[in-house]
Parts: sequence; C-alpha cells; structure tokens
Amino acid sequence: MDLEADIVVIGGGMAGLVAGIRATEEGMKTVLLRKGQSATAYSSGAIDIIGYLPGGTVPLGSPVEGLQGIASMFPFHPYGLLGFTDATSDTVSKTIVEKVRTAVSWLKATLLGSSIPLFGDIDSNLDAVTVLGTVKPTCMIQETMWPGSLMLDADSVALFAGVRGFPVFNPRMAAQVFLEHQISNRLPPRKAGHHVLDLAPFGNNYNISSIEIARYLDNEDNLSVLAKTLKKQAERIGATHIALPPVLGFNRARENQLALQDLTGAHVFELLSFPPSVPGLRLQRGLETAFVNGGGTLLVGHHAKMESLESNIVKEVTAVGPRRNLKISTKAVVLATGKFIGGGITGTENGIRESVFDLMTVSESFRIATSITPQKLTNTIALTHMGHPLFGSGLSVDPQFRPITAEEVHAAENLYAAGSVLAGYNYPAEKSGLGVAIVTGYMASRNAVDYVKGVSA
Amino acid sequence: MAKYDVIVIGGGSTGTAVARDCAMRGLKILLLERDDIASATTGACAGMISSGLKYMDEPNIVDMCSDEVVNFKRIARHVMEKNPIITPLLEMSDISSGGNFAEEYSKRAETRDVPPVLFLTPEDSLKIEPTLNPDLIASIYFEEYFISPFALCMLQALDAKQHGADIKTYCEVTDILTKKGSITGLQYFNRITDKMESAKTKAIVNAAGPWAHKIAALAGAKLELRLNKGAHVILDRRVVNVGVIAKAIEGRMIYLFPHENTVLLGTTALDTWEDPDTLVASQDEIEYLLKSMEWVIPSIRDARIIRTMEGVRPLIPTWKIPEGDVTRGYEIIDHEPEGVSGLISFTGGKLVMCRHMAETATDLVCKNLGMESECKTHNEPLPGNSDDVDILALAKEYGVSQHTVERMRARRGSETATILELTCDHPEWKTTICTCEPVIEAELRYAIRATFPQTLNDLRRRVRLGTGPCQGTFCTFKAAAILAEELELSGEDFQLEIVDFLAERWKGKRQSIRGEQIAQEELAQGIYACVGNLDQALEELDYDLKPWEEVL
Amino acid sequence: MSEEEAYQTVLATLKKEAIYPYTEDEMQVVKSIESCINCGLCIQHCPVVAAVGLDRFSGPRSIAVELSRSPPEYWTTADVVYLCTGCGTCREVCPKDVDIPEIVNLIRARIFKHRPDLMPKQLHTADAIIVEHGLAFVPWEDPEEKAESRDMRLERLGLRYIPDQVVKGADVLFYPGCQAEERAQEVKESAKIILNHFKVKFTLLEELNCCGLPATLLGDDKTALELALKLKKKVKDLGVKMLVTTCAGCTSNLARIAERDAWGIPVYHMLEYLVEEIGIAKLSSAFKQSTEEEPLRVTLHDPCHLIKHTSRITMDYAGQILGLIPGVEVTQSYAHDSCCGGGGLVSYHAGDVARAVMKENLAAIEETGATRVVTPCPLCTAQLEDSLFRQGSSVEVDDMTVFIAQRLPQEG
Repeated sequence: MDLEADIVVIGGGMAGLVAGIRATEEGMKTVLLRKGQSATAYSSGAIDIIGYLPGGTVPLGSPVEGLQGIASMFPFHPYGLLGFTDATSDTVSKTIVEKVRTAVSWLKATLLGSSIPLFGDIDSNLDAVTVLGTVKPTCMIQETMWPGSLMLDADSVALFAGVRGFPVFNPRMAAQVFLEHQISNRLPPRKAGHHVLDLAPFGNNYNISSIEIARYLDNEDNLSVLAKTLKKQAERIGATHIALPPVLGFNRARENQLALQDLTGAHVFELLSFPPSVPGLRLQRGLETAFVNGGGTLLVGHHAKMESLESNIVKEVTAVGPRRNLKISTKAVVLATGKFIGGGITGTENGIRESVFDLMTVSESFRIATSITPQKLTNTIALTHMGHPLFGSGLSVDPQFRPITAEEVHAAENLYAAGSVLAGYNYPAEKSGLGVAIVTGYMASRNAVDYVKGVSA
Repeated sequence: MAKYDVIVIGGGSTGTAVARDCAMRGLKILLLERDDIASATTGACAGMISSGLKYMDEPNIVDMCSDEVVNFKRIARHVMEKNPIITPLLEMSDISSGGNFAEEYSKRAETRDVPPVLFLTPEDSLKIEPTLNPDLIASIYFEEYFISPFALCMLQALDAKQHGADIKTYCEVTDILTKKGSITGLQYFNRITDKMESAKTKAIVNAAGPWAHKIAALAGAKLELRLNKGAHVILDRRVVNVGVIAKAIEGRMIYLFPHENTVLLGTTALDTWEDPDTLVASQDEIEYLLKSMEWVIPSIRDARIIRTMEGVRPLIPTWKIPEGDVTRGYEIIDHEPEGVSGLISFTGGKLVMCRHMAETATDLVCKNLGMESECKTHNEPLPGNSDDVDILALAKEYGVSQHTVERMRARRGSETATILELTCDHPEWKTTICTCEPVIEAELRYAIRATFPQTLNDLRRRVRLGTGPCQGTFCTFKAAAILAEELELSGEDFQLEIVDFLAERWKGKRQSIRGEQIAQEELAQGIYACVGNLDQALEELDYDLKPWEEVL
Repeated sequence: MSEEEAYQTVLATLKKEAIYPYTEDEMQVVKSIESCINCGLCIQHCPVVAAVGLDRFSGPRSIAVELSRSPPEYWTTADVVYLCTGCGTCREVCPKDVDIPEIVNLIRARIFKHRPDLMPKQLHTADAIIVEHGLAFVPWEDPEEKAESRDMRLERLGLRYIPDQVVKGADVLFYPGCQAEERAQEVKESAKIILNHFKVKFTLLEELNCCGLPATLLGDDKTALELALKLKKKVKDLGVKMLVTTCAGCTSNLARIAERDAWGIPVYHMLEYLVEEIGIAKLSSAFKQSTEEEPLRVTLHDPCHLIKHTSRITMDYAGQILGLIPGVEVTQSYAHDSCCGGGGLVSYHAGDVARAVMKENLAAIEETGATRVVTPCPLCTAQLEDSLFRQGSSVEVDDMTVFIAQRLPQEG
C-alpha cells in the first residue's frame, strides 16, 4: 500500500529524529525511515556542540566561544551556514549562537521528562571523563554522567570501579591516566583509587557486556549488593566521587545513580564509553519515543530508494523493507542518512558518493569529491587534531540546507539535508557531532515545514 | 661484559633459525633485534613455504625447498596449513607455459605428500572456485603449504631461548668492534632501557635482511644487496575457496591466497632504494594487483580490502636482469677474505629456506670456531608441535567457545591446553578481548609472560590481535590495559601504546582505504578521537612521529 | 589421471582441509558480512544475548564473523549457532545490512551436511518428521479425531465450521501452514470465515505441505527446496492470483521462495490482505455490524517473521484493524516487538533459552494491564499461551485471525 506524508525524513539518528520531532510538532504528517540503528545509538551519549575549533588544540571553554570563532573564520561550516541571513555581518555570530541556543534548549526541553534528562548548556563546556581516564570537552551529558565537583574540589578523591569480566573498562589504568592528567594540570582530585566489582548478571564473571549489566541494574533488587561493595570501597580510600562505566541501566539509570549516592555518600557518575554504549542507546530510545509519542510514523527496517532525481521536486520516496516496498508520496524530504557509518556517504577508489539521490559530494574544503580517491583525503598520522578531511566530506548545501549541484543550485526545491551527511566539519576532531546533527536537523526541518506550509497555502 | 660464542643480528626467519641452530648445538648465543621478532621482511611475507613454484629452472633449489617443506611438516605442523591452488588458464598460450612446471613439481610431489599437478576442466574448476572468470579453458591445480611467519620466528626464538640463548628485542647494533681484523664484540642501543650496552664475541652472524649491508659496514666489511620491495593487499576474510594464481599485466605471477582467516593478494616486485622503514604500498602497486587479478577473478574489486603491507626483499645482487630472474637461492658470505674475520652475512633466500640457511651458516660458524657438531633443527619439534588438540573436549572442559579454542590451536598448537589451564585460577580471563580473531585474555596474559612482547604491536604478532576487519578498533584499548597491567606501565605509556598501535594499523589501512573500511575508520576515529580525545593528547604524550608519518 | 579422477583428488584434499566450496548463491549471502564494522549493535539488541548473557550466546556478530572469515572453521560454531531464534533483530538494527539470519541458516546447513554429529539430536528428530510427512508436525492419524478437535475448538470460540473447498481458478489460495492445519485449527477455520464473509473466491490446497521454513532453519536445504518446488507446482496447478496465509513464518518464507522460484503471484499475510485488498472501509462496516461488543483491553505482540522478515508496516495494519473494532482498547507493551523465543527451533533443544527469551515479554505484557494478547501468528500464539499459562497468568492469548473472525457479524 502507499503511504502519504507531508514530510519524509530519511535517517533515524539524531539529525533525522530532531527533524522528525520538530515536523510533527508543526503539525506535519511525518514518516521517518530508519534503516538500521543509527550512529547516535553508538555514541557515548554525550552531546558535543563544539569542543575545539577546526584544527585547534585548545579546548573551548564554551560552545558559544567556538560558534563565534566559526562565525568569523569558517562561514561554510554547517554552524557558519546558520549565519547566512539578510542581517548585516556584525550580527552573524549572534544569529548563529541564538539559532544553536534555540535548537539545543528545545532538545533539552524535549528530553526533560524522559529517563535521560540532560545536563549543561552552550554557555560552557563540561569536562567529561572517559573510560580511558581521559578528559574531553563536551556541552551536554546525561545527568548520570556528570562528574560533579570531582575536578573542582581540592579535597576530592575518586574511586574508579569496574566490573570483573567486562573488558571495556579497566579501572586501574583509567584511574592512573586520569590522575596523571589532573596532576599535570594541577587540578583535583588529590587521589584516585580503583576497584573491580564482582557483578555477575548470569552467574559468570567473564564475557560480560554492558547491556547485561545495564539490564541487571534495571532490576531494583540487584542494586543493593553493588551499593554495599561500593560503600566499602569508597570508605577504604575516602572517595568523594565514584566513577562507573555507563551501565547504570536503560530505564533506571537516574534512579540508580541517586540511590547509589544515598547509599554510599559519594557522588556517583557514569564515564563516557565507546560503542556500543548504553547511554547512546538511551538517547536514541528517548528521541524515538518523543517522535512516536508526537504522532510521527517511525518505519524501522526500511531504507529509502530513489530511481534518480529527475525533476526539481521530490514527490515520492520508496521505502524498501525486508520483503515489502512501500511508496510514500510526500511534499518535502529531509535527508539525514549519516556519513560512512550510517551509509549516507560511501567511498570507492573512484570517488565519494551520496547513496540515496546520488547527489554531488564535496571534500571538507568543498572541492567536488565525486571522483577523489578516499586515500587522498587522509593524513599519514592516524590520530591528529586536524582529523582526516575524509570525515569532513559529504554534501554541500545552500543556507536553507538544501543540497546543491555542481552548478551551485539546489538539487531539488523540497529536498533538505541534515546531520553528518553534510560536508565542511570534522566532528571527531572538533567534537561537534551530535551538535551539528541537532542544529541542522532543527533548521532543515524548519525550512522543510515552511516549504510545505507555503505549497499548501 | 657479557660474552657469547656467537651473536646473531636480526630477528627475522633466518636470524631466529640461526639462533636456534647454534643454541641447539650448545653454543652460547645472543640474538639482537632492532625491533621485534618478525617485524620487518618476514612479517610482510605471505607465509607460503613454496615448493619452488617460481624457480623451476633451478632444480637444486627446488629440491631443497621440497625437502624443507617436509622438515617443517615434521617440526611445526601446528602452525602450518595446506594451500590448494588453482591456476586458471584463459588462453591457449597459458597452457604451453605450464609444462615445465608441472613436470618439475610432480617429480617431487610424493615426498611432500601432495598429488601431482592436476588439470581440471572449466566446469570442475568453477565448482571448486565459482569466482573464477567463466571463460577459462582449463585450470592447473597443485598444493602448497603455508606457515605462519610470525609463529615460526617466535617459536624458533623461544626454542633458542629454551636452549640457553639470550634473545633481546629493541636492541639496535650501533658498532661492531674488531681487533686486528677479527671481531671482538659489539655495541648496541637498548631501546627498552634507553642505554648503550655491549657484548663480547668472536663470531657474528649478520641476518639483518634489508639492513645487512649497513651491519656489514659497521665492521668495515662490504656487502652488496639488491633491495626489492613487494606489496600485499589484504582482504577481510577468505573470499576464495582455494588459492588462485594469475599472470599480472607484464606477465609476472601474482597470487590470491587464503591465509589464516584473511586473503593475501600479492605481490609486486620493484627495486627500491628507499628507507625500508618509511615504505608503504603505493596506489600504483594496489591498482596493479587488483587490475591483474581482476582478469581471472572479475569480482575481486568488490571484496573488502582491510589493509596493505609492504616488505623489502634482500636479494642477491645481480644486475641487468629483471627481479624475477634473480636466483631465489641464498648466499652466505664469510667476510674473512676481505679482512674481517668472524663476520658472516646472508643475502637472498626465501622463508622456506630459513632453516636450511641456518644449518649452513651454523656449520660454517662451528668450523670457524673449530668445533664439530651436528644439526638437529630438522628433527626436533618446535614448541607446541607435540600432540593433536581435541577442540571439542577442551572447549567443554574449560567452558570456552569452540571457535575460540580452534583459533587458539591454530596459533598455539598443543600449548592451547596450558593457556586454557590459566582460566582455572582466573575465570575472568576467559573474556574475549579481540573479537575478530578471537583472542581471550588468558592468551594475552600468557603471551605477555612467555614471549617477551614490549609493545602492543609485538603482542599483535604473537596472537594476531587487531588483525581482523576492524583492525584493532575494538580491542586496542582493552588489550593495552592488559599489557599495561602486566608491564606496570604508567598512564602515559598506556595511552602511547594505544596511539602507537593505531599508528601502525593506520599505516596499512590508509593506502587502500575505501568501501566499508572507511566506515570502520570513522568508527575508530569516533572511539579514539571523538570520545577518547587522544587526537588532542599527542603533544602531551610526547608522541614520536613514526618514520612513515614524517612524509606528509 | 582422468578429468574425473583429478576432480575427485582435489575434492578429497578440500574435504580433508574442511574446505567445502561455496556456491555462488552462498557467496552472495556471505558477502553481506563484508560490510560488518564490528560495532556490536546486533549484540546489544539481540534478545538471546539479553536473556542468557554474552558468554552463553556470543551473539550475531560473532557467528557471522566466525563463519565468513574462515569457512573451514564453520563447525566450531555448533555450540552457539543453534541458540539463535532467527528473529532478525540483528539484521534490522545493523547499520550495514548484514544478513545475519541467512548466514545462520547457511552455517546450520553446512553442519547438517558435513558435521551432523554436532547438531542437537532433537533437530534430527524434527528433520525426520519433515522428511517423512512433508509437514512440521506428525499429522493426525485419524481424520475423525482431527475433525473432533477442530469442532471442540470452534465451539469454545463460538465459531462455525465452513467446509474446506478446493476450487481451480479461485482468486486466492489460502495457505494455513502446518500449525493452523495440524494444531491450531481454529486459525485456519477463522481465515475461512473471514474470506467467506468478504465473499472472496478462495481455495485451499488439496493436500497441504510445509513451506519448508523449519527445514531451512535446521539446515536441511535439500528438503526445504523439495517442499518449495512441490508447493510451487500445486500453486501453479490451481491457477490462483495470490496466496494468503495466517502464519507469520509462512508469510516471510513464502514471499522469499515465491520470489526466488518465480511463482509470479504475491504472498500476503491475512492482515495485509485485509487492509490492502479488502480495504479499511469494508472492514470498518463489517465490525460495526458485529454483535460482540464487550469492552476489551488488548495488547499486540509483533511476530518477528512479520516485522523483521517482512515489513514493520504489517503491524501498523494490525493496529489499524484493532482500532476499527468497537470496544477494543489497545495498550502497547514495551516489549511488543521482541522475540517470543519460539523461533529458530531453539525451543526444540534448549527450552531454557527459549523461556529466558520470553521472560521479558511476559513481564511487559503483564505490565500493560491488558487481559488479552493478540498476535497474528499461530506459532507466537502457542508460545505465548504456553508461557503465560506456566507462570499462572490470567492473560489470554488470541491469534489475530481468530480474534477478527470472532468480531465479524455472525452469518446464517
């Protein structure tokens, strides 16, 4: 059967879900196609807005500071594009900051009543601690991940507690890395200890995954044993703060955090972890729930297929499921298919391609990339603050976030793009991934809604 | 100052074989390796112990290779695998060129316990290997063996150690001392202790491969080498049922060999004067291999390339002929006639000959030292080659998955039980650390304690850590923590281990990056840069640029 | 040496090395694993991992990677590969479309063929039944007893019996599948009532044979193919325009083989048939005439073979249909789309695993406060019914086809 929609969103990560939720809030009949699980679900669950300027090595004190820098130096950065308005140039940076503030505040409000309330705002970056013991600047984290006064209070003492048989987090090495880093920056805590907990959700203390522990702790009854050991260990070293891997639960993380704090007397928090991470999945689920509760149609397990983009208007999208194809007629489309992980962008030795509409791709520095060998867009050094330009490649869009062609006109008047399918920013280096997704998803959706309202009027 | 009968320089296949042979004959041995065991030429080879495929017009060498395969089957069967190979013939001219080979090969087939060269119809060929170009007119089938080059070197080194040899990795020889034209000892820089150290000896065996001429020069001796580089493209898994041989664009033989759980596409052969440490596979080499193999396997380009590797062959210096015509035999040069007594060097040779080379060299050393001795390296098994391993029984006994045990067996042979036994005291060591391979924590702990790795990269060579499709994306930080615990590393060194390992993996991944390997890399960057913030930590960590990274 | 001898010599070596050459079809399946980036999302979403832990069931990624990377080691996966319920969650969440359920089938087929000793013995028994009877279950010996059982079920449910009919040239072939044919006969009868109500020209098969899914799942590809071809012939002989089934597993499997073997007709689940062919308007007016109007709080269970192997849209249809029925209030269970544990033949040999998978489902159902679970699959119905009964729950379970038939106006 065919479906009808005002707006079809292709892609179910942060950008697509933000676009979808916003569109339903505006009364649009919205269908969102989610092919697999998104890169948002992989993420640490922390929401980076901007941690470093492109190529920068100094952590930004606040996203606002970073946005101002982008406004003046990187006008084609997705954040920079927010400043292309009729207004005069001296208000560009203000425009950008306000747009980002609006989108970010909206997200925070959207998730307020959920099981993953967010902490932080764009007026300052937070120092989040990772499972490696490293520290990274980020804008917002789930409340369970906030380290409290750990790095402020001169007398603080940290306990890093891991789980035996859960290899993602080695508390001993994390404590060591963290303490060395803090000491060299002359910052608290004054001491960091470590402990390995024996939590065996299925009776064995080996090959334990984060999902098992999270689900185990979602059962209230299992928390008390953990609390008892933690209390004892915290007392042993006089810990004021307890760092745990992010496994406090899918549904009860916040309650568990508060309960553990009550029972141990220390500030308990979750570290940032690697995929597949529980907080990332919590975030994904929170957003999906908001979308569905708002009346959006979420079609999981379907990817979008287009024959080709022949006319200037996209009127129909085919959703391909395991054994069924659905034709969805629509008035506008938001393309939020992600980059290489999500599959929105692919690369062969012949060049970089966009996978749904075969739109023109560009490199991080906006050279047409449809025939650049991916290797040419990489550096010799694996990890550098410059990032690899490859991961800054994607679609070039106009200020309305419509993908453009080689002739520099929009590919279709009702096709918008958001999130990491966009070019011009290097999220692993800048620490800006979910931030760009939120803001561009928000803006692309707004433009798409305006377009649909305009056509309908 | 420590005194040795013989000092061997180089921890590749030849160096470790010499150390083993000498030690087994009762000599006091020191082996010095600049990096890690099998970290250069040997580590970049395909691991085929060929019966002499490419040099059928050198019958003596073919005989030797054939015998050596039999010897390896006796001493190291646990790290070997059969490599059935199909050579599709696409044109009539291909058939005529196969004649001599078939005859020479089949003559020696029985000693190696393989069938003679067989001719297969197109239909049968396609049943065995459906990916072949359906236009083939026939195919040639024969069988070779593989040995894990890393395992072979490590086992030879360990066996040498068990016979009393000192094996020192990360020790770079800086000077060779002579007195009146005779070797008296050498100096080396120990990168682990950060100190200059020295040792006394009257005999040095120079098995430094592509650096052998530089070692000879330290003693004032002259050694000519023809350095020739070769690239391999590595695919994520076994995309072919059997090995495939094809002719490249200019008529050289290239191959696609399933090896362990990957496939190797190789190789190129280009004369080189570059520093071997900086070499990576070039775009030309990658395309040459793909283009050439595409002719017989049209779908090869759809396969997932996980990385490339580049190695340098230290060929016997013959000029004015193409690389393919240079003898694959080896030479042992005694530098005594040019006035450096006690130094002998190797040039040429192949992996399959390493034990033979060691035997000849050790015979010469013994003669020079005036002692009589008998070589036993072809009869005494290498560690782990003792019993057959019952996978099902071990998996059940220790509660470890069958696949984990089977992969461990392929790396460890009969040591598998010893490793699993560790999980009795430490059940948590049953945890899988590298999921691609897979490798459990017990094997890592065992390898760290028993096989002297200094870095995570060394550990990779011991257990194939991070060698699968994800190239260390998910195991690097986990394994680094285990290594750090065992070696009592600081937080800074723990992070450096991670970064160094990723740097080495990136060296191979970068040149061929395409397809899903880009998504894989985005994930790796997501972990180590985006979340881990290690991209910002390089300066703070005192990270030294690697030789191949300096060329921007 | 003759050509044949040469070929046999090669095969002997390959067998010794446990290399069983992939056919081109198999290579296409295995090829999808190339895209795996090891992210672990499949493991994070796998209902079996969640239920029994990663150590017992190492998860979809591990199975896929183990086989594909080194085919000669296929047999080593025998200790985990039979614990997969085939729910398809892994493929659905995979950002790279890795077709893990198909790979699981492929490994099982290799073990079945080359190392049957490593296969759970209960699956050998199951296979023997399929081979012997062409059905997933041993059929009723006595047709009268079968009819008695059917009548008892119908009486309990207040449904009337419509005699079976085999009509050449009918529009629709109704295919009940093994469960509704041999066990849950009320589902088959309900489907007939529905089709009859909407005056559909339908036919049954003269003699039902299994669609082959259980054979595929236990690795007996040969039998699966034989059954599929047999069915194709029967379908062709009847000359129908489409096939309608009430079983989720049959839906996805028949859709697959109909495409593979070029049947040339579409395969629908009853829900799809009702919404897409009968239409919401007709359904709505039918339900309005219904006499059954007791208020009822129900919750839906989504069969994996519909949502993850066919299309999620099918359960939107289910929701739409329930929304048309007067008095029915639907409450969603948070685990509505998670596997009931009944798939993949796991319950045949590892009942504890199947039950563990089901556990969360049951808790979620209880939490909704619904007094009835409705699901458009007789196998899920049986699995849910059994489990709810075991734990002493008062929640009842209805196959959705039955549920619909009961709420159509009674006809003379």
